[in-house]
Amino acid sequence: MTAMSQVKVDPFTIEIVKDSLIAIGDEMFHALARTSMSPIIYEVLDYASGLTDAKGQLLTQGNGVTGFIGMLTFMVKETLNKFGEEGLNEGDIIIINDSYVGGGSHLSDVGLVMPIFHEGKLVAFSANKAHWTDVGGKDPGSFSNDATEIYQEGLQFPCVKLFDEGKLNQSVLDIIKVNIRFPDLSIGDLWAQVAALRTGDKRVKELCEKNGAEVVQASIDHHLDHGEQMARKELAKLPKGEFYAEDFVDDDGFENGPFPIKVKVTITDDKFICDFRGSHPQVPGPVNCTYTGLVSAVRTIFLAATNPSQDVNDGVFRPLEIITDPKSILAAERPAPVSIYWESMQGGADLVWQALAPSLPERLSAGQLLSVCAVTLSGDHHETNEPFLIVEPSAGGWGAAKGQDGARGQFCIGDGETYNVPVEVAETRYGVMIDEYSLRTDGAGAGQYIGGAGVTRAYRAMTDKQFVSATFGRNKYLPWGLNGGEQGSPNEFTIEKANGEKDGPFGIYPRYPLNKDDVVKLMTATGGGYGEPKKRPAEQVARDVKNEYLTVEQAKEVFGVIVNEETFEVDGLIGRGA
Amino acid sequence: MRVATDIGGTFTDLVYVDDNGKVGVAKSHTTPPNFEQGVIDVIEKSGIDQQDIETFIHGTTVIINALTERKGVKTGLITTKGFRDVIEIARGNRPDLFNVRYKKPVPFVERYLRQEVEERLNQKGEVITPLNINQITELIEYFKKEQVEALAVSYLHAYKNPEHEQQTVELIQQLWPEVAVTASHEVTKEWREYERTNTAVLNSYVKPIASSYINRLNNKLVENDADSFNYIMQSNGGTTTFEQAKKTPINMVESGPVAGIYGAAYLGEIIGEKNVIAFDIGGTTAKCSLISNGEVKVSTDYYIEKDDLNAGYPIKSPVVDIVEIGNGGGSIAWIDEGGSLKVGPHSAGAVPGPVAYGQGGTEPTTTDANLLTGRLSPENFDYQVNLESVKQAIHDKVSKVYGLTEEEGALGIIRIANANMLNALKLISVRKGYDPRDFTLVAFGGGGSMHAPALARDLGVKKVVVPVASSVFSAWGMLMTDLRHDYIQTYINRLQDIDLSELNNEWNKLESQAKEQYAEENVKEEEIVFNRFVDMRYSGQEHTVKVPLAGGVINEETIKDVIALFHELHEQSFTFKLVEAQTEIVNLHLTAFGSVQKPELQKFEVENRPLESALKETRNVFYENEGWVPTKVYHRDLLVPGMKIEGPAIVEEPTATTVFYSEQTLSVDAYGNLLIELEVQ
Repeated sequence: MTAMSQVKVDPFTIEIVKDSLIAIGDEMFHALARTSMSPIIYEVLDYASGLTDAKGQLLTQGNGVTGFIGMLTFMVKETLNKFGEEGLNEGDIIIINDSYVGGGSHLSDVGLVMPIFHEGKLVAFSANKAHWTDVGGKDPGSFSNDATEIYQEGLQFPCVKLFDEGKLNQSVLDIIKVNIRFPDLSIGDLWAQVAALRTGDKRVKELCEKNGAEVVQASIDHHLDHGEQMARKELAKLPKGEFYAEDFVDDDGFENGPFPIKVKVTITDDKFICDFRGSHPQVPGPVNCTYTGLVSAVRTIFLAATNPSQDVNDGVFRPLEIITDPKSILAAERPAPVSIYWESMQGGADLVWQALAPSLPERLSAGQLLSVCAVTLSGDHHETNEPFLIVEPSAGGWGAAKGQDGARGQFCIGDGETYNVPVEVAETRYGVMIDEYSLRTDGAGAGQYIGGAGVTRAYRAMTDKQFVSATFGRNKYLPWGLNGGEQGSPNEFTIEKANGEKDGPFGIYPRYPLNKDDVVKLMTATGGGYGEPKKRPAEQVARDVKNEYLTVEQAKEVFGVIVNEETFEVDGLIGRGA
Repeated sequence: MRVATDIGGTFTDLVYVDDNGKVGVAKSHTTPPNFEQGVIDVIEKSGIDQQDIETFIHGTTVIINALTERKGVKTGLITTKGFRDVIEIARGNRPDLFNVRYKKPVPFVERYLRQEVEERLNQKGEVITPLNINQITELIEYFKKEQVEALAVSYLHAYKNPEHEQQTVELIQQLWPEVAVTASHEVTKEWREYERTNTAVLNSYVKPIASSYINRLNNKLVENDADSFNYIMQSNGGTTTFEQAKKTPINMVESGPVAGIYGAAYLGEIIGEKNVIAFDIGGTTAKCSLISNGEVKVSTDYYIEKDDLNAGYPIKSPVVDIVEIGNGGGSIAWIDEGGSLKVGPHSAGAVPGPVAYGQGGTEPTTTDANLLTGRLSPENFDYQVNLESVKQAIHDKVSKVYGLTEEEGALGIIRIANANMLNALKLISVRKGYDPRDFTLVAFGGGGSMHAPALARDLGVKKVVVPVASSVFSAWGMLMTDLRHDYIQTYINRLQDIDLSELNNEWNKLESQAKEQYAEENVKEEEIVFNRFVDMRYSGQEHTVKVPLAGGVINEETIKDVIALFHELHEQSFTFKLVEAQTEIVNLHLTAFGSVQKPELQKFEVENRPLESALKETRNVFYENEGWVPTKVYHRDLLVPGMKIEGPAIVEEPTATTVFYSEQTLSVDAYGNLLIELEVQ
């Protein structure tokens, strides 16, 4: 404890400064989205930004997706580790996307870190991390579902200075420019990231000038302690003991797999320990996830199980411990490919979720689509003849929970404040038409509360020589039901060619060629159900039939309700007990 | 005589200005569900002769209430084949990131009432599949059977070519004239099918409600022999006729609140302040909006029920940009599990209200804190105030936790409430690239004048204006409004190779549309004032910047100017510009005002009276660093132009209290507005 943090400040000033810090994080976050050049950032919000203290402890993070929660801290700590406080100067900006250290996910997610000084003293860091449309590598969009080593996945930025005391390192920028596709987009995004960092820098300095650095520091300490206290209060409410789950990651894109993964969750009065030892070692294909990726995923479920809507900072995660084997599929090391790391990462989160869900029905639901269901589609635009590139996640079905049906057509837990691309926008911008964007009402995930329907989105190619790559995990191991609810359906996609030929369904497929009028039909999972289907009120089942969420046959066979096809009234019950 | 009535949650306000510029005010209780009765009541209470009313302007919460209370009618939706679920999938986003039990907003139309027809346009508006008329006929039968009362029609790319929607609506009106119907292109011509569909659906959902309300109100007015021109306040800060309001009621969703913002802009114009921050504190919320160079900002990025945890429902109709937070006089102070003091968003409301009301409230509120620190006097309340119970509540719920005195705890509540409001004010100013020092804060609503001078100090604003009739200022603002219609057309084109004749043609089309609409509303062509804006961005970006554009024929020079201005505004908003990047237009935005002759406001006589004649009392007020200080309190009614008061001091009027601080000086202008200025140091 330093003398500084013992400064006595009245509780309200501390609170006001703390709120200012959160507002700064918020401002930085919105600044980035509004100036970005790439749909992956401004629609999908596949980025995070925030502030840490001088030691790299997260103070506030604006998130578009859950997948980045925790990564900023590691980026800053790596910066401190490499340069030391004395090696950092006012105006420096560090670029880092190393997958294995420093908060790495895959290379597409590029991080920037800026130290903030007040009167010559390091007081905080402003940091962000955003998914660039392209960082080079073997395939357009960079992340590749058939990479075998990291070198195929794009440029690596090993924590180097992009700005040195405010001066741009032009050489670094020049190297980036010639090594990436769509440099206008990614360099545009780089400027947006820089602008957001500088906003944070400016605001924190203003805060220090107004209140004094000591007061700001005291407020930071209070803020972190407050986060911890809130988390511990929630931890106290959780059931104590050991909880287990095992599942599989489908495959690695090379038909290896399935890969078993497992967890033991231990909850005590003051700890929440997730032990993933015994999970499969890292694999040849790019489904490997690095340790920090796993940390982010587990943090997500930790928050879901404790208090999903609290302000997030590193204090909140103090009770959390995560243990893995080295070189595990959940903690991969150089040079394992990691392009589609989210499959294992979400797999890790899902394990903790599965382990706790039966004991925490008020907080957790049945299983959901879980996979980002990432699609890249490239080719030439039919009007402009310019190349286009779609990089997007797919919405799907969520799991039902005690007291509620699963949400229909939502992005997976790893995404978040993620927006689909409107049909009218997609058809203007890309060389495609969309034949259908509808709910996939396959009747899976039956239960007292039913799983949310997945989504069908069908792209029709408007020119020849387009390529679609899709990574739809949870294709073989389906969203799980809870407490008697049935499991959901697989994520999958099929090809319907102009000549009537059909191909698929597939889970992971790299670069499937499409010619004009070929259609790729992307179908996401329906989530798992909660409770026994025969406990669903008969009138509700009849309503589901009327709404075409269920067929008459499903109502009868699965729910034991005979529904009149004309009037949609309940005509009788079968096997539903007294 | 011009008369404005504004329906609020508790009171229906009336403000009038007669032909001599004299302003009068009345208040009566709001009378749900027959809100029109409250309007008639307040007219009677004001004592004005209804036959003297030439212009009657009305602000109403009927639309927003029908939406949030789900009191609209059973509505059906017709969409392009393959897309009936767009309204349920929505955008797939989830603000409540870490909640695996997230509940997405339930669509206003259940799935069996969402039906598809064969038809398809491409992105250029060309017909790919012709409209299948037979299916529509069948659907009408289906919807009749399901006892639907309203229909919405929304087809892909209808913003580009409305032909199929128009044909569909014509057929519906022919075969089923009683049903209320809205085509998406009638309410918005912007792209993004979910947002447009939702807007069309919500418009239909409230259409019968709006018609019946407006008809009832109109009948009441006619009953009383009023022979006035009647207008309704829209969310864009302008008015429209009763007839038009029945067609697009969704444009009234923020009918009441925006009038105060517009009023602040108008007041600014009168007193020579072009840059204004309008700031309104009510019982449960505080609202603010920034007016730069006299221009009230209007956008279509509006949602209902959207917050940090919920995705809400988009409404793509033009709404004045307002930031609203859950911090008003009745906001409750509480301590979270981690021991932090919070104020709001929960409110004690009108019932039971703050502890001070003695109506059963037990949770301390901002109002209670203002009372305990001497900023308010027990005499300011309609109720018998028990100061001891206020002290007890603040002690138990706040002070005790921190080991502080009651007044220290109360001051903490005020400081936290101010910090919340300050963040909102920064959001619309500093964070948008504006320097607050260039702005004047116009404070109104029941609590605006209480907090504004303290906030002005922190924000760096040099002048605060507390207008006459500040507690009914929204209604005052309505008196000063013009008719206004917004026409927004998505028109994606790069500036570099833009076709000038086509662009000019588009503007002409929008302007003739406006002229036609005003002709229907009996507004003469020479009374119409056009303003043009383009929503612009760098190619590849999504978010746009609104850039004003000169009227008349557009030539290469105009294009150059608008690009230059765009770079400048982009830099102001986002700290950087990309002078070499391609720029493009996303929307053309035409605002058309039907300007109205407004009465000149009466000026006060300058009297040579000593300040002491306005002194009410001296009472102790508790300040942050000084503690208890005897502070002079003045009657606002007795203040006249020419008087000057050094802070700290208080000015009271029956429905509002102004508290200002050391280094601030209060004066009264010729119209009776209070001006509080920071002393130049």
